[in-house]
Amino acid sequence: MQKLSKSFLPLLGLVILLSCRKEDPLNVDDISGLGGDTWVKSSLDQWLYDTLVVPWNIATKYKWDQFELEVNKTIVPPKEEKVIPVMSAVKKVWINPYVLQAGELFFKKYSPKLFVLAGSASWNLDGSITLGTAEGGRKIVLYLLNDFKNKTMPGYVPADSAIPKQMFHVIHHEFGHILDQNIRRPVEFDAVTQGFYTADWINTSDYEALHDGFITAYALSSPFEDFVEMISIMLIEGRSGFDYIVNSITGTSTRGTTADQAKAKLRQKETLVVNYFKNAWNIDFYTLQLRVRNAIVNEIY
Amino acid sequence: MKGKNFYIKRSSFFFLFAVLIFSACKKDDNNVFDQSPDQRINEALKNYESALTGSAAGWNATIRTGSGSVYHFHFRFNASNRVLMYADINLETATTAKESSYRLKALQTPVLIFDTYSYLHMLADPDAAVNGGTYGQGLSSDFEFSLDSLAADSIKLTGRVNGTKLTLVKATQQDFNAWQNGAWGRALAFENINKILNYFKRVNIGGTIYEIRADLVARTITFSWVDGTGALRQFTTSYNYSSTGVVFLTPFNAGSQTINGLEIVSWDAANLILNIKVNGVATTIAGATQPLKADLGAPQRWWQYAINNGGLYWISIDGFHVNGVDDAFGIKTLKTDTSQYYYLIYWPRPVSGQNFDVLAPAFLIPSQNALDLIYGIADAPNFLTDGRVVFSYLGDVVGPYPTTGPAALTKSQLTIPQGYYFVQTSATSYDMVSATDAKAWISWIF
Repeated sequence: MQKLSKSFLPLLGLVILLSCRKEDPLNVDDISGLGGDTWVKSSLDQWLYDTLVVPWNIATKYKWDQFELEVNKTIVPPKEEKVIPVMSAVKKVWINPYVLQAGELFFKKYSPKLFVLAGSASWNLDGSITLGTAEGGRKIVLYLLNDFKNKTMPGYVPADSAIPKQMFHVIHHEFGHILDQNIRRPVEFDAVTQGFYTADWINTSDYEALHDGFITAYALSSPFEDFVEMISIMLIEGRSGFDYIVNSITGTSTRGTTADQAKAKLRQKETLVVNYFKNAWNIDFYTLQLRVRNAIVNEIY
Repeated sequence: MKGKNFYIKRSSFFFLFAVLIFSACKKDDNNVFDQSPDQRINEALKNYESALTGSAAGWNATIRTGSGSVYHFHFRFNASNRVLMYADINLETATTAKESSYRLKALQTPVLIFDTYSYLHMLADPDAAVNGGTYGQGLSSDFEFSLDSLAADSIKLTGRVNGTKLTLVKATQQDFNAWQNGAWGRALAFENINKILNYFKRVNIGGTIYEIRADLVARTITFSWVDGTGALRQFTTSYNYSSTGVVFLTPFNAGSQTINGLEIVSWDAANLILNIKVNGVATTIAGATQPLKADLGAPQRWWQYAINNGGLYWISIDGFHVNGVDDAFGIKTLKTDTSQYYYLIYWPRPVSGQNFDVLAPAFLIPSQNALDLIYGIADAPNFLTDGRVVFSYLGDVVGPYPTTGPAALTKSQLTIPQGYYFVQTSATSYDMVSATDAKAWISWIF
């Protein structure tokens, strides 16, 4: 029996190998949508190409693509007339200050490469809304474009500044992550408010977080987020705005941090951020801060 | 674990062999279709595109949203991915064409995507302030549609997220003109009905006076009238628009005639009168200072309901609407150093054994996540036999009540000597309407 099977096996193999040699089953030379969606380019597409793709290799997706957003949420695409105001604000508030301060090469190397724009906010189950998200240091999603107004638009009221400011906050926050992921933040930073970080940050108000030495409630979530929240708030509020926030702390927090302790912790984090920008990236943080804040002031105040 | 377990008969090898030889290769490659899937989807996309762009006068579209409302659109697609549209959502969308972008895409089936914001997206917008739907969902509508079928002059589509049905029918030049020359805009002038300052609106149809109430967000109309026995009767129907006016989903049987809708002629902005035609006969919808027939028991029902249901209170978020202005007194702007206005409450008999009610703004204290009453007034309602209720001021409660500002204005509005009529709008909501001239009212919900 063994002999027999030995002689059979190669034969069997041969039969299996030879028996099926079908022709090319399908014609795959014209797959619809291969290489991405196409449409007739408008002047808006040209503007985005000239302003962001050519100099910085940053793509902007303003046309609807469900798969770039949370598929379980009801979200609508942006109004076309809002795309240029938003993206030029992004250029003024984020791209220009970094390029002037750190150089073109730096910016080209580290900037995220895709902006996805949505017209509405992303509504969460608890009734709150998300105004910006980012993934993987590559993609930034900006929401609520349809409500975006800068001070040159008719009907602008100071309350409208909240939306652009939130967008700038998101962008600077995410870019902070990219910097941190390329050159790690100083270990001393994590030690400043060690023991206070909590996953329960969502039930904490900014006010309470501040009184424990955190610039926002989200900063409470981890040293990783704390670091970039510091960068982002310091940049968008400017130096005097940041000082104002720190100096507004009074009284002892529910977790027992005194006002002086909270202030000292924030000042210590500020110093560590400024030093990090100098040592890691050779960027003078206070000049960068001035540029960003001036751009924001020009945009919305 | 040796070969023993794998002992196989010789005959079975031959059998296996035979099976392989006969079955292994079936060379005829008979596709069910004579073209590849890619060729077929590309062809389908091309057919849809040439159909969409091929209609010179555009397409009439009807969409039924997930929330059940019906809207009409007019689309004109061009070959460079642009679409111009009108819609019967509001006066502006019905009269001003808006350009946005579209594209066709193969997402397993051919799909039509309206890919930048347009009137169509207003229905799907998750911001309820845009469309009167629910926050986070809007009206459960769509702007990405799979193309289900293509006939000579119609295309059927289904929304990819909420499954809304969209039907496109090839428009004639007349259909297109009806949008362009403002016929739809005239129909939408019906929405001016709520610019009439009085809460009560009346229309005379065939000699009978009807009270008419329109909910523009839910798109329902309610007729009330007094029948032969003197009883108050009501009829409610959903409606949508046509190029001539309002179309009732359920025809209204008004005694001698059946009414299928209202033809809207014009809105008289100077006199706040809506000129309409009913079955070809001209008439008007105008304000009235009194209800056609007051609901005599309504004030007491309202009052007793709160007491019977846990001794709780009625709330109003927007405060008083006066002379066409929502929240006329700005009660929503009330705040203190540590709290902000949350809603206005009317609390019948908050203290058992004490004969007074309380009207007070409730404040939210964010740091405690709690509601608090900082000041309020005590009052006593007097239920009159003609269906009115008059509130009289007794004194301040909790803290000293402001003498100026939104709270003070709300207090003096509540205590007007003529009092209020009540209109029940659902099991747990009432509108309280000033008996002076019906130009001030407040909506209470439980």
